[in-house]
Amino acid sequence: MNTYICRYCRQPSDPSSPTCPLCGAPVDIRSSVSDSGWVQQPPIKDMARLQFGQSHIQIAGTTVPVAEFNLAANDWIYFSHHVLLWTEPGTKLTNMPMRGAWNRTLAGLPLIMVEGRGPGHLALSDNHAGEVVALPLQHNQQIWVREHRFLTATGNVKYDWHPTGVWYTTGTGDDQETRYPMGQYGDTFAASGGPGLLLLHSPGNTFVRDLQPNQTLLVQPSALLYRDVSVRMSLHLEYPRNMGFAFWNNRWSYRSIWLRLFGPGRVAVQSMYAAPEDTDIITNHSYATTHHW
Amino acid sequence: MIQCQWCHAQNQAGATSCQTCGAPLDERDKVSDSGWREAPRLRDMTEFQFSGSTCQVEGELVPVAEISLHPQDGVYFEHHVLLWKDESVPLSSMNTGGGMKRTIGGMPHIVTVANGPGRIAFSRDAPGELVVLPLHPGMELDVREHAFLVASHSVQYSFVRIKGLVNLLHGGNGMYVDRFITTGYPGMLLLHGNGNVLERTLRPGEKILVEPGGFLYKDSTVQMQAAQMPLKTGMLRHGMYLAEMTGPGRVGIQSMYVHHHAD
Repeated sequence: MNTYICRYCRQPSDPSSPTCPLCGAPVDIRSSVSDSGWVQQPPIKDMARLQFGQSHIQIAGTTVPVAEFNLAANDWIYFSHHVLLWTEPGTKLTNMPMRGAWNRTLAGLPLIMVEGRGPGHLALSDNHAGEVVALPLQHNQQIWVREHRFLTATGNVKYDWHPTGVWYTTGTGDDQETRYPMGQYGDTFAASGGPGLLLLHSPGNTFVRDLQPNQTLLVQPSALLYRDVSVRMSLHLEYPRNMGFAFWNNRWSYRSIWLRLFGPGRVAVQSMYAAPEDTDIITNHSYATTHHW
Repeated sequence: MIQCQWCHAQNQAGATSCQTCGAPLDERDKVSDSGWREAPRLRDMTEFQFSGSTCQVEGELVPVAEISLHPQDGVYFEHHVLLWKDESVPLSSMNTGGGMKRTIGGMPHIVTVANGPGRIAFSRDAPGELVVLPLHPGMELDVREHAFLVASHSVQYSFVRIKGLVNLLHGGNGMYVDRFITTGYPGMLLLHGNGNVLERTLRPGEKILVEPGGFLYKDSTVQMQAAQMPLKTGMLRHGMYLAEMTGPGRVGIQSMYVHHHAD
């Protein structure tokens, strides 16, 4: 019986292979862990292969990696058309409609997914320097992913999306604006009918950490890549201490907007992100903790 | 002697990088199962020769091409890729022709020429790779607009309008591709590919469908046509277009691009 568990995807894996066939993580390297407990997700090695069903994926490149699929006859994947880099003419591409078309349009999310069915080859890539992160999912295992980070999933992985519930408003009257520091919606993926595979594109480098029950952590909202659904999240507003100048600025422009994560569960962050740039006074917000230094 | 698998030049036994294109000679080619070969990742500080000049590649994230120009040599480039130069290196301008058509296509009217002797360096503004393409006499290479970094003066520069209304409206490759031609003498062409660069050689009649934003270069023998996919991409958008490449010849793609429907 195989007892080797890949330390990155946490699935039973093959220790004799140079890379985990499920997630592509190198088997023969030391784990790189920061003093505070963040584990660096090792980039998938150039030309490493991952297996799913009767199909396989090969990762080409290291700056903006390409995921090249060799799809077997009965296997299929789905993805946004924006990430399709090339396809063989014989690979069957069809549309996969999504529910909530209007809300998705307003939120800037892809309205229609594309299904790619084997047999045939196609390749996907994102448009940021970063890493492909492979998350094998066991039957019924569910994971939350920040919007726009999804690259592709195997056909048996169910895709759903829900409001993040993390927002704040600035301004009043006609100038009022609602802001979503980590996006308006988050994606959830769950494998059904057997194991599935989810591929994400993570801009920059990727770090993973396990939170203990009730352990909390503050992260940049747009840096969160994925989390176990057991991890809860909310807004946290932090105002640095007034050092004797422009005291009123402490109320709005000079502040930090954080995402507070509550364990237990696994969380992953990406090192490239866009911090909120607005400086207007916050007039309303979703549930938040606040700290004034 | 060792033959470089990228440019096919012969090198001295024991050489670790190709003296003609800088490709590592002591590493295996990286070819995916479907036949895409990664452009060689040039090692930091690798040097290679063209004509009487030397090019040194510095950096790996956004590589810089630093050229030491021989007194009889010259290179040309779009002026915004110039990173630094010796004060003594003279610059001149070369009209590309095309006038209003180039303006409409968003292409430069003028390329800048630098002549030796002296040092001059070039880089673009995105993470990616330098693609070194030594051109033998009689070669013709088509390059997507604004991807060319620098070319040696023996390479003729022109441009080709992408024909067909479907290509213009939906092709996503712009109105023109740059065409680089060598006639009597070999030349050197350096491109900057965003992200990673992959190349595939198509057999006569073989087809591949490529996201137009990912297209980087092709042999002029490869035909490029916008092909409509039977897909919707939004509530009001019907049809998605890819660039259908038909062999024979090489096709180069870049993995980081702005999707042509996202503009």
